[in-house]
Amino acid sequence: MTDRPLFIPVLLGTVRKGRVSEHVARFVSSQVAARSGVETELIDIASLSMPIDDAGESIKDSGFAAKMERMDGLVIVSPEYNHGYPGLLKHVLDSCLKEYVHKAVGIVGVSAGPIGGARGVQGLLPVMRELGLVNIFWDVYFSGAHKLFDESGNLKDTTAWTPRVDKFLNELIWMAKVMRHGREEIVLD
Amino acid sequence: MEESLIKQPMMCPKCNIAMNRHAEKLVEPRDGDAAQDSGVLGGAIEEIHSCPGCGGVGARAGS
Repeated sequence: MTDRPLFIPVLLGTVRKGRVSEHVARFVSSQVAARSGVETELIDIASLSMPIDDAGESIKDSGFAAKMERMDGLVIVSPEYNHGYPGLLKHVLDSCLKEYVHKAVGIVGVSAGPIGGARGVQGLLPVMRELGLVNIFWDVYFSGAHKLFDESGNLKDTTAWTPRVDKFLNELIWMAKVMRHGREEIVLD
Repeated sequence: MEESLIKQPMMCPKCNIAMNRHAEKLVEPRDGDAAQDSGVLGGAIEEIHSCPGCGGVGARAGS
């Protein structure tokens, strides 16, 4: 089995101005970066230039697709808007397919309310399955997110969140390793 | 002849080694694209391959 590092980017799934999810994504990204044998990158969907007069693989962004091809696992940070995940997140995800197949994904929910984006996360799970991604059974829910960060975007209390993200990443990294082995070594009958 | 060609391993364009065929994905046809509709399965089969060397991903039509 190859010893190249795992690549686990963090996808920031909203373009909304003033988004607190960006602070969450930066925090989670820092936790991924601290793991040995793992490389990461924060991918902001607001930085992708995707048209909205078409959809699917015909609007594939070559840079985004290359990162999805390279990745072994994916963290999606998704706020909850009107009880669902952001439409533009789906628009971006739908632009690739083969790049996702048999790769691990973990979802981080964000909301100003008390449920931490759980309804948006639950809505994403069947989408992940259809894209060929493999859901892990850990999620992280940042409820009351607008109160969690200081003016610089730093978590006020890391002790409450670091252990949760730690468990989430343990599972994601394990699944990413397993799925890489499967993709590269185990032939489909 | 055609079937034997389909079963040849897909080669990684970067590493020039055989990629591993690890998945078949049913891709539903887009509106008006009858060529992608296999009839029995309701869509086209796409084989997914991964390179054990670089992790690169390949895809081709399956059956």
